[in-house]
Amino acid sequence: MVRPPSSREGLFFSDFSAFEAVFMAPDPDRLRDLEKRLDQLQAKQAPKRPPPSQAGIAGRFATELVAALIVGGGLGWGIDWLFGHFGMHTRPVFMLVFVVLGAAAGILNVMRAAKEINAGIAAARSDKES
Amino acid sequence: MNLNPMEQFAIKPLIAEPLFAIGGHPIYFTNQALLMVIVALASSLFLTLAVKPGALVPGRAQSMAEMSYEFVGNMIHSATGEDGLKFFPLVFTLFIFVLCSNFFGMIPGSFTVTSQIAVTLALACLVIGIVIVVGFAKHGLGFLKLFVPHAPAPLLLLLVPIELISFLTRPISLSVRLFANMLAGHTMLAVFGGFVVALGTAGGILSVLSIAPMLLIVGIMLLELLVAFLQAYVFAILTCIYLNEALHLHDHH
Repeated sequence: MVRPPSSREGLFFSDFSAFEAVFMAPDPDRLRDLEKRLDQLQAKQAPKRPPPSQAGIAGRFATELVAALIVGGGLGWGIDWLFGHFGMHTRPVFMLVFVVLGAAAGILNVMRAAKEINAGIAAARSDKES
Repeated sequence: MNLNPMEQFAIKPLIAEPLFAIGGHPIYFTNQALLMVIVALASSLFLTLAVKPGALVPGRAQSMAEMSYEFVGNMIHSATGEDGLKFFPLVFTLFIFVLCSNFFGMIPGSFTVTSQIAVTLALACLVIGIVIVVGFAKHGLGFLKLFVPHAPAPLLLLLVPIELISFLTRPISLSVRLFANMLAGHTMLAVFGGFVVALGTAGGILSVLSIAPMLLIVGIMLLELLVAFLQAYVFAILTCIYLNEALHLHDHH
């Protein structure tokens, strides 16, 4: 909202910008320029993941490893249980196999997490330099 | 005085009679359920009332609502692109629910909903369930390509189960991260609170020393406020990242 110039500014003011904004159509070039600058600013302010703390990284790796082991063991246990229902006594073969696979998946997760964190740190560094 | 730091996480029924039963299991209205109702009501009531005036120049409440809207909108846009904005309601609800639960938990004497693995795991399973449904709906069976890395065929026998387990780990790591952070923070606060009481009642010079853990609590409290926000943010952005993968079948090899 543009408020009319107050009387304190006097009758003979030289700044017509307030009138311009009300009575004249906005200059399309200036609007486009404003839009471009806004876009640039917003791109700069886009939310980024803050680089995690050392303890955060350690916690993340630990969870990834343990979670994968639990999922692997659980899956293997479930498969054994399912086969047991059909009269095949595979227990504990599948559980053992899947715990090992779970360990592998955990290491894969940790490697991916490390890659992600490294990318985040590199991005933060290049931001600081520019 | 009970100094057990884990006491604050105990779930107690507030009404002695169970509300109803599911398959013979009685369902009680607990302190956790009460807090969840409060969080849901408070956040939706605040957001509805805040945007009610619809002023061109927003007031304090309205700018809070608009800022959180834009914050989540930008987060989804930068993580998933234009077509991820369809999931704005989901991500926004999750973000606000987790954020408000964390903040309501910071009020002394209240209960932290997100310190219960049952709650966070349910939220994470909801997210992964939606990711799977969206993936199959958008790509059909092509979604399964997510589990097939580029490798020679015999190796796939080993790699596909590993990828599958890696995918299934997500709801667990997503929920454990939120739950463990809240649990650890609140336990730490209670432990230091116990120090204050123990030193204060010891008498003599020790009573004076009880100021030290008291000051520490103030610092930890501030840190916990940061963690409360950060964990809600992490939960929301991971939801976006998983959705992005389902939408665009991003392969990370």
